[in-house]
Amino acid sequence: MYTLTSILQILVYPGILFLLLLAFLYEWIDRKFLAKVQNRYGPLYTGPSGILQPFADFLKLLSKEDIVPTATDKILFSLTPIIYSVLPLIALFIIPIESQIAIISFEGDLIFVMFIFTLIIVTVYLAGLGSMSRFSLIGGVRAALQMLGYEIPMGLAMIGPAIIAGSLSISSIVHWQSVNSVWIMFLQPLGFIILTVCLLAELEYVPFDIPEAETEIVAGWRTEFSGRKLALIKLGKDLELVLSSALLTSLYLGGAQPAWILPPVILFIIKTMFIVLLFTFLRGIFARFRIDQTVSGMWRYLIPLAILQVIFIQLGVGR
Amino acid sequence: MKTIGLIKEALAQLFHRPATLRYPFEKAPVPEDFRGRPVWDMTRCIGCGLCSRVCPSEAIEMIGMGVQAEIKHHVDRCIFCGQCAESCPRKAITMTQEYELAGFDRKKMIYEFHRENLK
Amino acid sequence: MWRGFKTSYRSVIRVPFGPQHPALKEPENFTFEIDGDIVINVKPRIGYNHRGIEKAFEQRTYIQNLYLAERICGICSDAHTTCYAQAIEDLLGVEAPPRAKYIRVIIAELERIHSHSLWLGIAAHEIGFDTLFMYYWRDREAVMNLLEMISGNRVHYAMNTIGGVRRDIRSEMIPKIKKGLDFLEGRMKRYMEIVKQDLTISKRTEGVGILKQKDAMDLCAVGPTLRASGIKNDVRADDPYAAYDEIPFNVITYDGCDVLSRILVRSEEIFESIRIIRYALDHIPDGMTRIRVPMAVPPGEAVSRVEAPRGELIHYARSDGTTKPERYKVRSPTLGNIPALCKMLLGCHIADIPIILAGIDPCFACMDRITFIDVRKDEKWVWSMQQLRRHTKR
Repeated sequence: MYTLTSILQILVYPGILFLLLLAFLYEWIDRKFLAKVQNRYGPLYTGPSGILQPFADFLKLLSKEDIVPTATDKILFSLTPIIYSVLPLIALFIIPIESQIAIISFEGDLIFVMFIFTLIIVTVYLAGLGSMSRFSLIGGVRAALQMLGYEIPMGLAMIGPAIIAGSLSISSIVHWQSVNSVWIMFLQPLGFIILTVCLLAELEYVPFDIPEAETEIVAGWRTEFSGRKLALIKLGKDLELVLSSALLTSLYLGGAQPAWILPPVILFIIKTMFIVLLFTFLRGIFARFRIDQTVSGMWRYLIPLAILQVIFIQLGVGR
Repeated sequence: MKTIGLIKEALAQLFHRPATLRYPFEKAPVPEDFRGRPVWDMTRCIGCGLCSRVCPSEAIEMIGMGVQAEIKHHVDRCIFCGQCAESCPRKAITMTQEYELAGFDRKKMIYEFHRENLK
Repeated sequence: MWRGFKTSYRSVIRVPFGPQHPALKEPENFTFEIDGDIVINVKPRIGYNHRGIEKAFEQRTYIQNLYLAERICGICSDAHTTCYAQAIEDLLGVEAPPRAKYIRVIIAELERIHSHSLWLGIAAHEIGFDTLFMYYWRDREAVMNLLEMISGNRVHYAMNTIGGVRRDIRSEMIPKIKKGLDFLEGRMKRYMEIVKQDLTISKRTEGVGILKQKDAMDLCAVGPTLRASGIKNDVRADDPYAAYDEIPFNVITYDGCDVLSRILVRSEEIFESIRIIRYALDHIPDGMTRIRVPMAVPPGEAVSRVEAPRGELIHYARSDGTTKPERYKVRSPTLGNIPALCKMLLGCHIADIPIILAGIDPCFACMDRITFIDVRKDEKWVWSMQQLRRHTKR
């Protein structure tokens, strides 16, 4: 019985099926909100108010022809879309969604999530390398270069809540926030801002969508993928969005906690939706940076601010 | 100090209706002088052939000669410039407001203008 | 065998931009040699949009050529017809009546507003700022509605004809035009403030694509590209045509020599155009809008220049007394900007390439011409229509 419930948990709720539905829902929210900011409609006709549009796009891509150029490295080319879409799923099992304890939680799983983020970017780089096209190479190299910029501040901003909660497990951090009835965002606003900016860069949203800059290098590291591989890559991108917003919610906004009569999962969805709206709004109001400006800006501004945040915590501010 | 210029503008758009027209359910009104498809008034046409000669894309075909001539207008070749309407000595051609003229078959996109008293 | 490493290993890759590329709205090929992230060489290859227009001019009568000239380009269509009408009027020895000249000025300036706001949206899109692109194009609809009301079509206005203009601006249209202009002025002022203040735009466009003043003069740049390098050169002021000698206006220049200056020059030219239109509407004389001209043109040669939104446009016509021209040549402004473009692109980052390419406001549709030069024998020749057709069928 125990194994059956855990299999059901992993596969259906709050596991893979639920996360896939959430991924499609968040992509729809992202597209509709961006369209509202830009004074247009967004998806409109598929389903009520276009809510089935991401799913329809996924199905359409699955049915298209899968073209493999001859110069590509076959193993890398076929494997990287699969890995890219599976890695966020693995990391999402560690984040508490349904209750205050996640499906898998152990001491140090925050470090594991950071490791998964790095692996995602390595996968992007390998995808660009394996496609062996000029545009993909430039895109993959830019992704790796961008990671050099934001990885350190992201790590420091994620450590902040861990220091307060006294544990390196995300479930314990959420538990600490509910026990002390406070959201860490109000104790460490600087860390919240830094983590938002770094997650924007990790998700490749404007102003940091340099690895897939449409007007410069066609589609960056994604240029040569088509058909099913592209469907998996887009799914992976949506799952990354769910992962980033879930991480931000759990670390800084209290995560999945019950409130009055609402179960934790409803509150989790509301908070992550708010974070998705924040990401989309930031996406709409900036132009794209250049890669050298990004890396130098992050090293010059974000890292000192992140270090300052940790110093503040050590000095007792934000405990 | 350089700031983020667009925040106020972007926030204001959240409360406006979208600017897109949901064509074909909502259509923009066309002004009265719009240069749409030309139509021939065959009661005034004298069959001089000026419209056919002056058309830049050879979209007007005149069948027959003189006052019994008939007009075939190839709307797939027409560029809607209005030169035929301008050159007609009897002002028999008017540019209507029709612009939804797309079709699937080029052979069907011909408009014919006959004379009623033709036996 | 081990043959000793080279200590400095320079990896140069060749990246082709075009003919199909999201950065270019029209097909041309630029092959960049890139070392890391810096461009070290660029080779342009033009000719993908060649349609044999100059040959087609020789096969149609003068009235039919009016509409062919209009379709050389979609955005600067009115500049082409004005230039053509002026060239043929020069050959015939007639002049358009004063009211027609004022109407030509109004339509030309409305087209300039339309073209510049289109370009500003495209420039925002090239640096990744899609929201600003959507806003500019939404407000461009106001200009297109005005043009539709006056001329009957949103693009390809077909207002000019040999001897004047085909339609009149009636007095009930004038308040609507003024209301539209007020709306546009308010919106464009707001966007210009945003462009000047925004951090990300200035980081992407300031100091990018430098074209020094001396280079701009030597390489014969034209239009706003030239004026953004501080040189005061405008056909409307230097060689007035239509009614420009009676309308006071300023020639906008900026000294920055970079892409930001080009953006600001074009934004300010929109305001200048709005002022010109208001003055022309207030002072338009009464009278005829066109005069009758004969079908056959006496033999001769004529050159006419206008200031298209992209720069100086030159048409040359030669007639031999029949109803069809003997030779017609078009030199569009983008062709003059290509050597300056190649100079601007050296030493920039890859990310700057689209915005520099877009900075000269390329209209490759107008640009392509063929000529045959044999460098060794120092010969030049042209193709006949049959040879051109055979080449395309191959």
